[in-house]
Amino acid sequence: MFRINKGQRLAVLTASVLMTTAATGVAKADPLLFWSTAATPVEETKMMREQVLAGFGKPVQYLAQDPGPFATRIGAEAQAGKGTIGIIGGLHGELASFSSGFVDLSDVVGKSGAKVNGAYAALGKLGTSEQKYVPWMQATYIMAANKKALQYLPKGADLNNLTYAQLIEWGKTMRQATGSPKIGLPAGPKGLIHRFFQGYLYPSYTGSNVVKFRSPEAEKMWGDFKALWAETDPGSNNYGFMQEPLMAGQVWVAWEHTARLKDAFDKMPDDFVAFPVPAGPAGRGFMPVVVGISVPKTSPDAAEAKALAAYMLKPETQITTLRVTGFFPVVDVTLPADMPPSVRLSGAAVAAQSSASNAKPSLLPVGLGDLNGKFNKAFSDTFQRIVLRGEDVKAVLAQQGDVVKSILDEAKAPCWAPDPTTQNVCTVE
Amino acid sequence: MKAMSLRNPVIRRNGNFLIGTAVVTACLWVLVPLYFLAVNALSSPKAVIGFPKPAVPQFNLESVHFFATYEGVATALLNSVLVAGLTMVLAIGLGAPAGYALARFDFPGKSAFRLVVLMTRAFPLPLLALPLTVLYIRTGLDDTALGLAFVHTTLALPFSILITASLFLSIPVELEEAAWTLGCTRIGAFRHIVLPLAVPGIAASAVFAFVTSWNEVFAAAVLTVQHRTLTAFLLQSLDVSPLPLKFAGAAALVLPTLIFLFAVRKYLFSLWGIANR
Repeated sequence: MFRINKGQRLAVLTASVLMTTAATGVAKADPLLFWSTAATPVEETKMMREQVLAGFGKPVQYLAQDPGPFATRIGAEAQAGKGTIGIIGGLHGELASFSSGFVDLSDVVGKSGAKVNGAYAALGKLGTSEQKYVPWMQATYIMAANKKALQYLPKGADLNNLTYAQLIEWGKTMRQATGSPKIGLPAGPKGLIHRFFQGYLYPSYTGSNVVKFRSPEAEKMWGDFKALWAETDPGSNNYGFMQEPLMAGQVWVAWEHTARLKDAFDKMPDDFVAFPVPAGPAGRGFMPVVVGISVPKTSPDAAEAKALAAYMLKPETQITTLRVTGFFPVVDVTLPADMPPSVRLSGAAVAAQSSASNAKPSLLPVGLGDLNGKFNKAFSDTFQRIVLRGEDVKAVLAQQGDVVKSILDEAKAPCWAPDPTTQNVCTVE
Repeated sequence: MKAMSLRNPVIRRNGNFLIGTAVVTACLWVLVPLYFLAVNALSSPKAVIGFPKPAVPQFNLESVHFFATYEGVATALLNSVLVAGLTMVLAIGLGAPAGYALARFDFPGKSAFRLVVLMTRAFPLPLLALPLTVLYIRTGLDDTALGLAFVHTTLALPFSILITASLFLSIPVELEEAAWTLGCTRIGAFRHIVLPLAVPGIAASAVFAFVTSWNEVFAAAVLTVQHRTLTAFLLQSLDVSPLPLKFAGAAALVLPTLIFLFAVRKYLFSLWGIANR
């Protein structure tokens, strides 16, 4: 049995009073709040703060976010008409839905003195006459291979000019030689495999990412992908970041985002090679990823936020950002010789990929806003039904095509590259 | 029947064996993951990525050191304790009287109330987050520990009401009546008779409120900006961080709760005492 004596009662009372005072008495010391979905892994966040933002000279608080809370908070501050977020960093698609809440950053590009990539700057207008975001950094997805895998390359295959057929054959040889599949894909819950379908397989086989979703070319593509999956490590269903199975030696050949290969290249630079993605019948589809910086109209200090945006565009800052995050500059820079191995390896592969004669770049989905998740799920579901459950390709594509179509109708989104960009709502043929 | 089986040595031995196995399994169930968490947090990143994973710690402090120097961890920890503490006080302060009323009084709509109280858990938080954040920003509750504690209290309240209600039901009303006949007022009888008997159970539901708040991510991530809780501060980033840091971060998240549970264990353990009263 318990007795509460006077001392304990007093302690509880004091504690509650103290807590209430501490909880309500909010002191607002105001560093500029940088709300971002980039550089989320803790190591990158730390380096972003200590190496990139420290150079700005004024206090900046960098907070990395999941896309969900990120968007909710921005939406809420815009709706409430007042906010604490000073500056925002996010993917093109994440920023596109809040276009009306951002200030015009046209003068920032001029002020920074940097030569910003024209195509990306145009993208940052989000279809308006104002600069809604300034491009900040870019990345893409490439291939990585353990050097042990190279001996099994099919005869006559050129690593810088592979086809998907050769990749499948390569995988088959490796499986037969080692007894287990050695290709890896990030198909786990945190993986980005939907981008593989949207920006790589579909454009490579059909020259489109939405319009020809259920074309005969798409049927052929899924057939080939089934053959590729047979040579893929079954652990792929759990992989989020391919750098981990690559470093562990579980996977020898992988497709992945450059930032998610960074660790493997930096920690074991002599064990890996990086190379462009394979090509399909319609070309070498790949997806450049653009991250931009916006300043919300509710920013407590828009002038300082603009100054920070200009600082982020400076060539020196862009080089440090590359070192820290593995995301490449969007302005003209000359890279110094002492860059980390990941930059050297990925940089060469990215350059070879985008300058390939049959290159077919495609954008991340544009104008889908909240429906982005649904759109990605439509592709993951198609993958699961066709490949994991072995359902009939034609029937699944017909049904999932309707799903994709209804998402586009709901978003009223026009097509984006490589589909022909018109003003009409994009539709599935 | 019970007496007979206890006298039969074979049955008793088998019974003891079964109980022993169950106890060992239950302990391993809880301790093995904690053990591996500790080992991996204290091992070098290279060993953690490799396979097989280390089974004994190497006392490499690289990952732990990372968190010790990661800006904002200490403040976030403080905020977490603050919010969880406030949630605990609010949930018990509101929940225990409601539970007492449910146990002792008959009032119209009593069973409906029981049901409706659970309904607060039926709405997914992400759906409510936007309007709630807008409201918080307008009222100035935004980014305060108190504001977040209100949300967490709403989440914890149904359980603290229902746990304390069944707790008060299990304390015979005759004890209270006896106190009244001996000159106690209603409040006096509650303080001197019911409360001491109920403290362990109240502590249990307090712990529950504390843990509910400690583990909640979404509301914390949306409603706080500069005053983040540890979970909101770390969990989102840990999800996409390298394995060694995941272990070290998880250890940082688990350790405070373990310390807290250890501190209140006296009250928790005696919860069983009440059943044998």
